[in-house]
Amino acid sequence: MRDLANPKKGTSQERNEFVWGWIFILPTMIGLIVLNIYPIFKTIYESFFKTGDFGRGNIFIGVENYAKLFGDAEVWQALINTFKYAIVEVPFSIVISLVLAVLLNRKMKGRAVYRTIFFLPMVAAPAAIAMVWRWLFNAEFGLLNHIFGTKINWVSNPSIAIFSIAIIGIWSIIGYNMVLFISGLQEIPGDYYEAASIDGATGIKQFWHITCPLLSPTIFFVMITRVIGGLQVFDLIYMVIDKNNPALYKTQSLVYLFYQNSFVENNKGYGSTIVVLLLAIIMIITVFQMWGQKKWVHYS
Amino acid sequence: MSVSIVTYFARFFYIENNIKTFNYSIYVKCIYMYNNLQKKRQYDEEGGSRFMKIKRLIAAGLTATMVVGMLTACGGGSGDGGGSKKKGDTLTVAIWDTNQQDGLKQIMDDFTAETGIKTELQAMDWNAYWTLLEAGATGGEMPDVFWMHSNEAVKYMANDILLDLTDYVAKSEKLEMDKFPQELKDMYTWKDKVYAVPKDRDTIAMWYNKKMFDDAGIAYPDGSWTWDEFYEIAQKLTKDDGSQYGFACNPSNEQDTWMNIVYTMGGTIVTDDNKSGFDDPNTIKAMEFLDKCIKNVMPDANTMSETGTDVLFQSGKVAMISQGSWMVAGFKENDYMVENCDVTRLPKDATTGKSVSLYNGLGWSASAGTSMPDEAFQLIEWFGTKEMQEKQSELGVTMAAYDGASEAWAGGAEMYNLQAYIDAMEDTVFRPHTNSTLAWWNPMVEELKKPWNGEESMADACKNITSIMNEKIAEEDY
Repeated sequence: MRDLANPKKGTSQERNEFVWGWIFILPTMIGLIVLNIYPIFKTIYESFFKTGDFGRGNIFIGVENYAKLFGDAEVWQALINTFKYAIVEVPFSIVISLVLAVLLNRKMKGRAVYRTIFFLPMVAAPAAIAMVWRWLFNAEFGLLNHIFGTKINWVSNPSIAIFSIAIIGIWSIIGYNMVLFISGLQEIPGDYYEAASIDGATGIKQFWHITCPLLSPTIFFVMITRVIGGLQVFDLIYMVIDKNNPALYKTQSLVYLFYQNSFVENNKGYGSTIVVLLLAIIMIITVFQMWGQKKWVHYS
Repeated sequence: MSVSIVTYFARFFYIENNIKTFNYSIYVKCIYMYNNLQKKRQYDEEGGSRFMKIKRLIAAGLTATMVVGMLTACGGGSGDGGGSKKKGDTLTVAIWDTNQQDGLKQIMDDFTAETGIKTELQAMDWNAYWTLLEAGATGGEMPDVFWMHSNEAVKYMANDILLDLTDYVAKSEKLEMDKFPQELKDMYTWKDKVYAVPKDRDTIAMWYNKKMFDDAGIAYPDGSWTWDEFYEIAQKLTKDDGSQYGFACNPSNEQDTWMNIVYTMGGTIVTDDNKSGFDDPNTIKAMEFLDKCIKNVMPDANTMSETGTDVLFQSGKVAMISQGSWMVAGFKENDYMVENCDVTRLPKDATTGKSVSLYNGLGWSASAGTSMPDEAFQLIEWFGTKEMQEKQSELGVTMAAYDGASEAWAGGAEMYNLQAYIDAMEDTVFRPHTNSTLAWWNPMVEELKKPWNGEESMADACKNITSIMNEKIAEEDY
């Protein structure tokens, strides 16, 4: 490591490493700054304005957008909808994909085939997935109602539409979570399992006492990214729920409202305010998860 | 160490957004190779062997390729090659209806044969089109010639995005502006300057399922019916078991369905002094009639919102729908409709005796920042001449804005009685608009979902819409 006697200079090898390290990082840093960091600040900046057409004529109105936001029932309903979606999608998808990952990590025939099949939904375009599921859920002509012989309004009943969308979300993300868990599982040395089975631990006991603690860094990573992704749901709702749909008010998410305000009604200032609210919520939740990390995640 | 932490963070942000565009695999390989290089150096002495040098070169080469790849992937997505165009280059033309693409391409090829100016047509869907224009207007590349619609025209005209065509039109020898409907010309004129030349017009007519009429023993409508007769027929065609309904309409079927009923019964959506027409007693009467239909002869709101009225019609669930002439190109291709359906004029009102159809028309406009303004106008002028307007109809593209040039369009689909759309031109009303139409149009459709679901009475909905409309119209600042 660094030469403690001369921390500034280091050896020429270390300086070389430093330079090369930064060269490798540069593409990602540029992408991050241009595509993510700059828009974050621009969005927060715009939330204090009443935006004009085509980016001209912005009028500064201070916190008026925020005052309107706190009184807007539609926004709070959208927040509840978003939470409902995340609360259903995240735990179910993690549990299901964890079980699948453990099952697909054993030596078994056709393991690669199963892994591929479960990963396929990630490869399909979200718009295509939404279109197919839209027809599956159709109350009149859909396959689900046809098979079960029911006439449930999966996506037009205000009470259950958001959960139908959550089903699509769970289905599409199982493969991705599963791949991450499999890679985490492969880092657990098999010796632990051997030792445990010699001591007489059953499969379930091994799962709870060996797999879960050693897999907790991966579970933690998956949970954080899934919560963030879940709270940002938009494309499924936009493509599956038509604007005439009576369930729309109880299904639209915060990002959907942002899209409506910014791009359909051309009110980018208010749309930015909604996004700032979402940003604040996600940050608070992530802080809680980081605190949870200290308590529950074991790093070896 | 620093490398791995930043990599972790980069995965954190990037994997969500860019898993498909960012060539993550090559990036990871580079990091791995670099780590391996580092370890090898620690074991070997002075890394002087050629093997090491080659590995280094490969790593450097891969990095360079990846950087270039990333920049082009991220930067070159939309909008290609900027740079200024010079005369003799191609005019870019953008439209949003793929159904009209082939016909327009032929007209544009004739233009190139006549004048030698090359053209290039891009067709995309409605949302992508307005996103493209908005991005172009905010500082990117705009197409040279493109369509304008009454929803958005004022925004573009008031912000100087469109090329001022007034002088060109005045000096033109081929354009006969008096042959275009006045309201269409007024729509695309702002502060006495002309910004677009009318392209087409569309009207509304009623489609019906001949087979269902035969099964119920009802004679085909000949266009001289009233809305009350229509309602009786719809009732007869609505079966109790829910397998068939007489009519279908969503809150979003405004121009093509319910607004026509309003105007036929003597009501209005926007009054002459720019206020909401939803408190007009005739408008309320028309909306109550619509409410009667919703409750008795239409499928429930859930079904209509999930499936769309034209799909319900094409699947044989609904006996009649009202649709615009722009749908004909698609209807010609639908086997079920070709075999079982036909079209007739919208019913008239018993009291007023009128059968009013809404009409709308697009305009051809040019970008104010185009580097080929003269050529752009030549193309726009070409589209507006009598011959090309007639050709547009013959090719089945749409009905023409030019008076009297639409007859050929009616003959374009022998299986349907398209004369109904031509007849509808006898009594038309231009699609209602104000300077910021969308500001009240969208909330109006939103509010109407409530009576459709039975959450609110139609009378209350009309009251709410009146106040929302008046509020938004008062806020307009153009």
